[in-house]
Amino acid sequence: MMKALPYSALALLALLAAVLAGTAIGETNLPPQVVYQVLANHLWQAGYPVDPIDAGIVWNYRLTRALVAAACGAGLATCGVILQALLRNPLAEPYLLGLSAGASTGAVLVGLLGLGSVALSMSGGAFIGALAAFLLVLVLARAAGPSNNHAQVILAGIAGSQLFTALTALLITKSATAEQARGILFWLLGNLSGVRWPSVWQALPVALFGLAVCLWHRRALDAFTFGADSAASLGIAVRRTQLLLISCAALVTAVMVSIVGAIGFVGLVIPHALRLLLGPSHSRLLPASALGGALFLIAADVLSRTLIGGQVIPVGVVTALIGAPVFALILVSRRGRP
Amino acid sequence: MLPRIATLLAGLSLTGLAQAAATLYPLTVDNCGAPQTFAQAPERAVTIGQAGTEMLYALGLGDKLVGSSLWFNNVLPEFQALNAKVPRLADNEPSFEAVVGKRPQLVAVQFEWMVGAQGAVATREQFSELNIATYLLPSDCEGKDNLVGADGTRLQAFQVDSIYKSISQLAEIFDVQDRGTALNADLKGRLDSAKKQLAGKDLSNTSALFWFSSADLGIDPYVAGRQGVADFMLRTLGVRNVVESTEEWPTVGWETLAKANPTWLIIARMDRRRYPADDYRKKLEFLRHDPVTKQMDAVRNNRIIILDADAMQAGIRLFRGLQTLSAAFASGEAAP
Repeated sequence: MMKALPYSALALLALLAAVLAGTAIGETNLPPQVVYQVLANHLWQAGYPVDPIDAGIVWNYRLTRALVAAACGAGLATCGVILQALLRNPLAEPYLLGLSAGASTGAVLVGLLGLGSVALSMSGGAFIGALAAFLLVLVLARAAGPSNNHAQVILAGIAGSQLFTALTALLITKSATAEQARGILFWLLGNLSGVRWPSVWQALPVALFGLAVCLWHRRALDAFTFGADSAASLGIAVRRTQLLLISCAALVTAVMVSIVGAIGFVGLVIPHALRLLLGPSHSRLLPASALGGALFLIAADVLSRTLIGGQVIPVGVVTALIGAPVFALILVSRRGRP
Repeated sequence: MLPRIATLLAGLSLTGLAQAAATLYPLTVDNCGAPQTFAQAPERAVTIGQAGTEMLYALGLGDKLVGSSLWFNNVLPEFQALNAKVPRLADNEPSFEAVVGKRPQLVAVQFEWMVGAQGAVATREQFSELNIATYLLPSDCEGKDNLVGADGTRLQAFQVDSIYKSISQLAEIFDVQDRGTALNADLKGRLDSAKKQLAGKDLSNTSALFWFSSADLGIDPYVAGRQGVADFMLRTLGVRNVVESTEEWPTVGWETLAKANPTWLIIARMDRRRYPADDYRKKLEFLRHDPVTKQMDAVRNNRIIILDADAMQAGIRLFRGLQTLSAAFASGEAAP
């Protein structure tokens, strides 16, 4: 434990630096001292005279964005670790359980049926859609066979994803105009621009809660890596633990998807990369993945805002642009291994 | 407006000034690169798009209309009675068969993405194979590439002449040229009066932002870019658009918009309720409560103009919109 201390300090420092970078860099050019003055005014009432629009941009737009990006990145990466361990499948990631497809359907339904005026936002629709898809996948997996067969869950997830993706496509072709489809696409590819402080208070606790639950079960996760049977032989309540951890992953993902849309690849790439670097032990892999996911998504968001001046690229596009080549590298480097 | 035009017409025909020649058939009109030939004035027409529908009403051709479609808002109040007699084929795009089933001799189309090379309803060839003429409003094809970008991309700035042109061409096709001349005179008069209202006023430091809607409140909104109809309105009145993108309706982040800090905010009012931000009251609420936008000069000084979404499109409503804007710019305050 003593050895972990400097690492933890280093990790926190890295996270702080990333959040600061995310706050300092944005669509418009604000001088670093303005950013500092705004933060100082809010954190220790420094009382610098700052333009109120600049102050609002730094404190309410950029800082919240960086914090939510960190929480989402950490949450999605944690979910990736859980699912890859439980399902013993290197391709498992949060969206495998049909969550993102369900979220899309929910959001599109809200958008197209004009439920928007009835207090249900697209993000509310996304949350309900994600949970509905997850329940469907669970029921399907259960009906398909005994729970210790992880292939059932993956196959059920694929079936659920396909079904909801098809539903979304049907809805869009049936009733959306070109302009509508564009609005939906904008949302589906992931977007952090609508984030304000209330989103921070949703995303941060959920990410921390997910991480805590997983750390609590880190030994069980280690055992599951060798299969449900060996986990059972170690005295772990297989069914209960599986259900708890998968539900936890579903909840975290659904909350994140409902705040920022479907941001892919974080949950897939980060755990793999860190497993290669740190080995399979979950007591290290879990916090490292959470940190890696946080840093990755903050960086991706900064890139999405600055890559093309005056225009924001959907953050999901950036994560996939970086994620896909990294994933390919991992595949190649694993060549020859079982 | 109709009664006004009627009196205008009466006055003009008395003096004989606007006594335009009767149309000679067969008439060939070059329209968006596809010449259309008319053996006689169409007796049955279908419209796709509200701008064309209201143009035909304003030309007194409501009795020739056998179907309308693609509505954004309620019809102008003065055309309500006329419109009640015309079957509405669809609120959005009609199917090809619904249009053809009305046996029209002319289909008037507002947007090329409805009828065009990648038309959602059909291509122009599909109609011409059935001997049905199509007329695309020139405002959506001249100087605009509709195969690039979601709402098309303007290669040149929108020209108001394209509206006058569509009115005189439609008037020629239907052999009501004097009505077309009178309608164009009325619209030009509105444009001139809007400009005149601001004569002598220094607007060199005045800027504005058009906010159409947002996919979700708080995320990057759809705003008017350069070269489109909304931008034309500002240019005509001598006010600068703070958005620099040349896309028709780009999405731009609130950080950029707040920093640009326009003198005026112009927000769209529409009956559509697809996104929460379609409701102009939701837009106002957002502007006044978001921690950053509430600090914008236009919000603090209540310089927010609520404008009909249709006034930002290439149709006859554009001219009333110009008058609304100039009245606000002239008084320095937004009308309640």
